[in-house]
Amino acid sequence: MNMVVKKAWGDLKVNLGRTMLVIFALSIGLWGVGSIIVSNSILTHDLRKNFLDTVPPQAILSSKDFYKVDINEIRKMPNIECAEYRDLSLLRIEVNPDEWIPLWLFGVENFNQFNMAKVYPQKGLQTPSPGTLLIERDGLLISHLIIGSRARIRAGKNKFKVLISGINFDPAQAPATQDHFIYAYTDKKTYSAISGKSHDQRLIVRFKEVRSKKEVEYATDKLILGLKSKKISVNSINIPKFNEHPHQWQLNTLLFIVGVIGLLAFIMGAVLVSQLMSAILASQVRQIGILKAIGGSKRKIFHIYLFMLLVFGVVSGMIAIPLALSTGYAFSRFVAQIINFDILTTTLPLRIYVYLTAASIFLPILLSLPIILKGLNGSVLEALNDYGVGRSSLKKKTDTVSKTRSTGIFTLALRNTMRKKTRLAITVISMALGVAIFSTGFNVRQSIYDLLSNFRDGLRYDVQVVINEGIDREAFLLPFKNIDNIKTIEAWNGGRGELQSQISKTTDGIGIISLPAETKLLKLNIIEGRMLRKSPETEILINQQARELMHNPKVGDTLVLNLKDKAIKTKLVGITEEFEKSKIYIDEAQYDALVNPKHLVNSLMFVAKDDRYDKVIELKKSIERAVEASDLNVIYVMSQAERVKVIYDHLQIVLATILFLAMLVLIVSALGMTSATSINIMERTREIGIMRAIGATPKMIYRIFILEGMILSTVSVFLGIVLAWPLSIVASYFFGNLMLGDQAVLRYAFSLEGFWVTLIATTIFGYFASLIPARKAIMVSTRTALSYE
Amino acid sequence: MIFSNLINLEKVSRSFGPASSRFDALKEIDLIIKQGEYIAIVGKSGSGKSTLLNMLTGIDHPSSGSVTINGTVVHTLNESSLATWRGKNIGIVFQFFQLIPTLTIIENILMAMDFVGVIPQKDRKKRAEALLTQTGILSQANKFPSTLSGGEQQRAAIARALANDPPIIVADEPTGNLDSKTTEVIKSLFSGLVKAGKTVIVVTHEQVSRTEFGRIITLKDGRVVEDK
Repeated sequence: MNMVVKKAWGDLKVNLGRTMLVIFALSIGLWGVGSIIVSNSILTHDLRKNFLDTVPPQAILSSKDFYKVDINEIRKMPNIECAEYRDLSLLRIEVNPDEWIPLWLFGVENFNQFNMAKVYPQKGLQTPSPGTLLIERDGLLISHLIIGSRARIRAGKNKFKVLISGINFDPAQAPATQDHFIYAYTDKKTYSAISGKSHDQRLIVRFKEVRSKKEVEYATDKLILGLKSKKISVNSINIPKFNEHPHQWQLNTLLFIVGVIGLLAFIMGAVLVSQLMSAILASQVRQIGILKAIGGSKRKIFHIYLFMLLVFGVVSGMIAIPLALSTGYAFSRFVAQIINFDILTTTLPLRIYVYLTAASIFLPILLSLPIILKGLNGSVLEALNDYGVGRSSLKKKTDTVSKTRSTGIFTLALRNTMRKKTRLAITVISMALGVAIFSTGFNVRQSIYDLLSNFRDGLRYDVQVVINEGIDREAFLLPFKNIDNIKTIEAWNGGRGELQSQISKTTDGIGIISLPAETKLLKLNIIEGRMLRKSPETEILINQQARELMHNPKVGDTLVLNLKDKAIKTKLVGITEEFEKSKIYIDEAQYDALVNPKHLVNSLMFVAKDDRYDKVIELKKSIERAVEASDLNVIYVMSQAERVKVIYDHLQIVLATILFLAMLVLIVSALGMTSATSINIMERTREIGIMRAIGATPKMIYRIFILEGMILSTVSVFLGIVLAWPLSIVASYFFGNLMLGDQAVLRYAFSLEGFWVTLIATTIFGYFASLIPARKAIMVSTRTALSYE
Repeated sequence: MIFSNLINLEKVSRSFGPASSRFDALKEIDLIIKQGEYIAIVGKSGSGKSTLLNMLTGIDHPSSGSVTINGTVVHTLNESSLATWRGKNIGIVFQFFQLIPTLTIIENILMAMDFVGVIPQKDRKKRAEALLTQTGILSQANKFPSTLSGGEQQRAAIARALANDPPIIVADEPTGNLDSKTTEVIKSLFSGLVKAGKTVIVVTHEQVSRTEFGRIITLKDGRVVEDK
């Protein structure tokens, strides 16, 4: 074997503990970053592929006039790539005894030939036999429904027991587990029989050669004009996000968090490696001098350390790459299960393996290169005279702390801590960064909790009942007259409206809530402008999602809304922050005057006398029973607690990932601190011998090192917690944008729980980071310590 | 025996520290050393012995003056060329042996050959064994330095110094850490090298005699005070 290789190999073997620590640190960093590279590749590709393979519709149009035209005529219209009817009704389904949730029932043209909006058979029948349903697979996780069972369905006053004849998979829908919906599919006749509606009233369309939502909007406008010419009046238009899965935001948020934190973990792992390389070189300065003295050129000596780094990289890669592949796939499967799509990637692209190999081999080399070059650049004379800390540098460095008036072990520990300023800085910064990220994880979680809590506090009713279409207030209230535990009931109205664009009345439908301006049952979190008031003008208040859809109008702007075929001029008076779909709030008096002359209502808000959780659930069950006995065409009955749970279910995955990764970063930082303390102790082995020789007991030496570790961790924790403040603001801003839309603000919140957990965790980590090397230090005999070079 | 000028020091001075507190370790030293000489450089602590040795090995550069060894003006070479030049021309023996602890004795010698590359690859092992035989420690060839006695380690260090067959051997207190019996073994090894035509320069603070060394150079306060 080449002597250069042999020397490097020998150095690795002789300090097996240190070698293992480097490999461990690098493996953790690589594992983290590798898992991210792998899962990022799989998730980004597979969610998109799952979604796009369904050939999703680009526009959804509703009209009662479609019977006037043959669908083939629409298909032949210019720019139309494909078009078909996919009717949809919002009904209710019993998922567990006395537990009803919304059912999205689709009427499908042909189960054997999907041109678009494909669904895939999973179990049972591919085409439901007449009078039966197929259920989307994700719904099975939130219901007792199985193939062969008869689902209880309510469509208005009509009740049905419908056989489930198969399970299918619709990757284009938002996951049922998060939205608490059931998706069901049936043929046109069964659809009409259950929903009580005619079929062929909802048209789904794809256009030729469109590349953006704007182009889709334009094409839709042209289609509507074309339909108008055939005397077809379109009631509503929905243009989904272009080529984007409804839960793409959730994946983006996750990948962002995982990416940033994983990268930081890797950087810390890399810092740890370069620190350890620096320590190896520090302990070998004299050896480098000898090697140069016996004829070793810089290049030859560099090869020794290059080989060491290659060994670190290759071994770490061999450990971390298979782990990263395995966890990358596991994490992808976990996310796919939550968002309800299939993992399709069986072979990763070659570039992923190239990235992983390059990261394992080249990054440690690149990161350690400056240290190695610095180590090799010293003269032979300096190298041969090296005794660890130079006298001059020690004088300069201890001068900075000489003004401290404390004495004894603390002074010694403090001075020792200050000896190697660069290492001290790197250690403190990386540990502080770990603390800051850990703390930020808690703060962002707190911000999200606060948002939910504000949302919950804002909803001052306990149960909400929403029906399919507006009815007379008294008729709506009637079924609930004899229910106990009701303090007040307020009736609201709502529907959908569209923002008028320049071409025609297209773009997305936005939910309209008409409520008394002075309502006490809703306390909105106004982030701009003000709440609705009684006013001669038609005032509206919108949430931030609606603001984004409406292309960011400003408070005070006049907006034209299409409500029930009427173009109405409104004044935007305020913007509210909610974790909700796009909504417009309007005073009921004005709404009724404009488009609801009969004062119909479609929502009832119940306030419980006793608002304890179990009493509210009891109230909800009583309301459900009253609904079942009534003729009401109810869309949903939801308690406020359940509503918050639905939102929480959307965020849970994000929150869990934040905390898990933040913990990983903290562990890597603590490892960094352990290694830095180990290096400090290793470099001072001789000094330990001298201290022992002049009478220091092992206990005293142990205390010095523990104290040094505690000084380091205290400074790091303090800096980390300070650093967490701006970091949390930035992180909240990013998460807010990703989760709630461009204009949303997720406000910074300080998590007291997080503060204590961070403080306790980092103090414990700091203590153990000093304990392990300090114990090692006192195990060395005085004779060995004195003969250490 | 040929006594051509191998080492030539002209007005070599070496100072340390800033002008206000300058310490002159060597003061305008003129010295000519011929091939095959066996020289002891003696003097008390702080006399400038180690600084002079560093000049002779190219480990340090003079503040003024010039050092020419075997036709090469040493202080003009850069660090990398100097390392290779040193490997070819000078074998250094340190007081504390300074063997690489993670390599066996024979590997320590092979590494020196690998660095310089003047000995053909195929001959290296044979030569390393021959050098270990010459220094009397062949039986220890495959052991690690820490398992050897001080005398054996110093003999291994001498074998390593001879690895590339350099014309000059410089030893810094080579027997300072050894018992009298081992000291005698090392001294006889050096005598043998001189007889074989090597120039051997030994820096020592011990009492030396003319019967042992061909030439004794005494330093005091950075100057040559005696050369006999």
